[in-house]
Amino acid sequence: MSSLLGSLKDKLSDSDDFFVIEEEFNQTKFEIIGVRSLVDLAKSLELIEKHVTTATLMHKGVLDYLISNGKKISKEHEIITAVLEGELILVFEDCENFVVSLEPIRVSLSRPVEQPTNGSVLQGPLNSFNEERLVNIGILRKRLVSDQLRVKDFLIGKRQKKNVSISYDAKSVNKKLLQKTIELLENGSEIELQSIQDLMKVLKLSPWSAVGRIHATEIPQQAASCLVKGKVVVFIDGFPFAYILPSTFWDIFILENDKNFPMPITVSIRVLRLIGVMIALIAPGLYVALVAVNPEVLRIELALSIAQSRNGVPYPALVEIILMLVILELIVEASIRLPQSIGPTITMVGGIILGQAAVEAKLVSNLLIIVLAATTIANATVIGYQNLITIRMLKYTILILASIFGVLGIMAGVFLICGYFASINTLGVPYLNMDFSKGDINSG
Amino acid sequence: MVLKKLGLCIMFVFVLILAGCWDNKDINHRTMPVVLGITKNQEEYKLFLQVPQAARGQVRTTIVRETGSTINQIIDKMSANLESNVDLLHAKVIIVDRSLAEEGMKDLISGFMRSRDVPSKALMVISQNDIEDLFTALENQEHSEETVLLDFFEKNAGWNPQIPITRVWHVYHSIHSYTKDVSIAMISKGEESLCEFVGGAVIKNGKMVDMIDSDETLLYNAFNDESNQGKIEVMNEGSVMILGNRMNHDSKIVNGRPYFHSELRLNVMVLETKEDASREEIRKALTALLLERYDKMFSKIQLSEADILGIGQYFRKELSREKLKNWRSKYYPKLVFTQDIKINIQNEGNLRMPADEGS
Repeated sequence: MSSLLGSLKDKLSDSDDFFVIEEEFNQTKFEIIGVRSLVDLAKSLELIEKHVTTATLMHKGVLDYLISNGKKISKEHEIITAVLEGELILVFEDCENFVVSLEPIRVSLSRPVEQPTNGSVLQGPLNSFNEERLVNIGILRKRLVSDQLRVKDFLIGKRQKKNVSISYDAKSVNKKLLQKTIELLENGSEIELQSIQDLMKVLKLSPWSAVGRIHATEIPQQAASCLVKGKVVVFIDGFPFAYILPSTFWDIFILENDKNFPMPITVSIRVLRLIGVMIALIAPGLYVALVAVNPEVLRIELALSIAQSRNGVPYPALVEIILMLVILELIVEASIRLPQSIGPTITMVGGIILGQAAVEAKLVSNLLIIVLAATTIANATVIGYQNLITIRMLKYTILILASIFGVLGIMAGVFLICGYFASINTLGVPYLNMDFSKGDINSG
Repeated sequence: MVLKKLGLCIMFVFVLILAGCWDNKDINHRTMPVVLGITKNQEEYKLFLQVPQAARGQVRTTIVRETGSTINQIIDKMSANLESNVDLLHAKVIIVDRSLAEEGMKDLISGFMRSRDVPSKALMVISQNDIEDLFTALENQEHSEETVLLDFFEKNAGWNPQIPITRVWHVYHSIHSYTKDVSIAMISKGEESLCEFVGGAVIKNGKMVDMIDSDETLLYNAFNDESNQGKIEVMNEGSVMILGNRMNHDSKIVNGRPYFHSELRLNVMVLETKEDASREEIRKALTALLLERYDKMFSKIQLSEADILGIGQYFRKELSREKLKNWRSKYYPKLVFTQDIKINIQNEGNLRMPADEGS
């Protein structure tokens, strides 16, 4: 026994919050091991005392009672993981190799369930997935009261173990997808899970995809509806999101919360998003195509006023628009990184002062500012930050093609993007899959 | 795999280099003439360009003149002299001198179609008087709008149903067709307004052979299913406004002689009546008026052997291509043309017709 204790001490005693306390209750000697930063020690000791007293009162073996309240473990790495996860380990001196892990009273580290922060919900449920994985699953269970909701846990990581849970609706889940996901999660347990890229590595998805393969959502309603539609939801320790597998094309446009409105409104909101994506993709390219390559498409009055507004602009249209687009991207990135209190300042300086000054200084044309504003606003109608970045990136493809081939290039660009979308396949489910979006029960 | 990716990258760079984007010119570096005027002095063409130019928040019209032996040579000369590239893709109206039209525009139109610089959808117009005068007037007009000549033919601006809209490709088509000729709008410099519509030139094989007046061009437009909506007809009995028109045609060949029957249905609205004219009277008077016009126009164009109504098109199923070759000279002069006009008084204005009062 002492050998086990010794090796535990060896491995963990470097941390000052690690503790080993010797205790004796009713002639039972044992040592309590834990981490002070995760365990409320005083209260936990009280708890153990209570357990032992209850056991004697009920005339039961102390050991048996403690086991019934916790669980018995024996392997050393399991013990270490349990300690690091904030459990209390009782090592009994009398009984060889007898270790009980006990759920202690923990130091409260998690926050209460809060509102979604990455996307606001209009007239819908306002709770969001918080950091704690179990809390997240709890929220989901509350949302989807069903005996078909299954949860499976995996431990992933070589040095740092991380808990990953997948949940699915046993009846409607796509069986092939589920089978593949479970298989990959089991096989990928050697990979350290620090980010979504790591998760993609575990799931053997290409990290070079321009489209988010895993759709992250904070909103329980969204996750619940995806489950019912046959998708799989992944929760990872410490990630305040539900990761929906696989992400499909319609995730860009369709939000479950839309259905909280009457149908005509739902449809028009979704059509609006579709228009938004088209504008965000095409508008910059169209500007370059019409100004530099195919001005004959414009009506003469418009052509003249554009020519007038571009008078004195030194750069060709492509350089001009890339210049402003890059500044715009910088503004967007900056306002994300900065504290919320500085955000509005950046917006004002970037939007009003810089935009106005760039026009006044004849660096860019008036029309370009309108095009940029329209692009950015239209871009923001997309659901999910990941999809927003995707659209933001893809518009450059169309922009470059438009600057070479004009209006024809825009056509080709849209065609290319459609082709790219069609080529994507996540865990056996095509990106342009329509089944999931319709909510059909797909029994594989 | 790496090689493949490298190859793709190199290909992409080549596409960028070879795609031809180096000669893209921004819109503000192009001179975009709206109106092209062409006249011929013996062997030399003279070209006028009306170029709207933006300066200090206002758009001003400037006229550029140049002479040369071919159109493209002139454009080249102009480009060299102007600070920006002449881009004819925006040319909307092409005005040709009457003398040039009578001499023949075959080479000119073929040149336009061949060079692809001038859009084939540009409108053709023939100027009755000297083209120099017209452009001088354009230049000197106060508060001149840059698109004044274009607006004259714009359906949502200054167009009227009697003005024929004929584009470059129509003319090109007529030159190479056995059975279809066109009529081109003719304008002259007006006293009050910049230009005045005087009628339609009858073009046969690219040459102007005759002229029809504005009442006849209305019928020409009706025949081509161009809407006549809004045109007001005045008779002794009153005046009516045309609300809609439809045409039905019937063709046959009997003993080698072509017969053509066409029926025009007009929806009209009564605007004015004189001396209590009844519906029937108005209908009769209008029919008589239009029939007379048709007869007059048809005999005129039949005489000049120019099939601007495109009647020959309806005989293509009866005549072989070999025979169609002689359509204009052999069959067309013999053609028997009958016209039916059905008038539907759709609207009597805010008053009831006097004849209906008793009922």
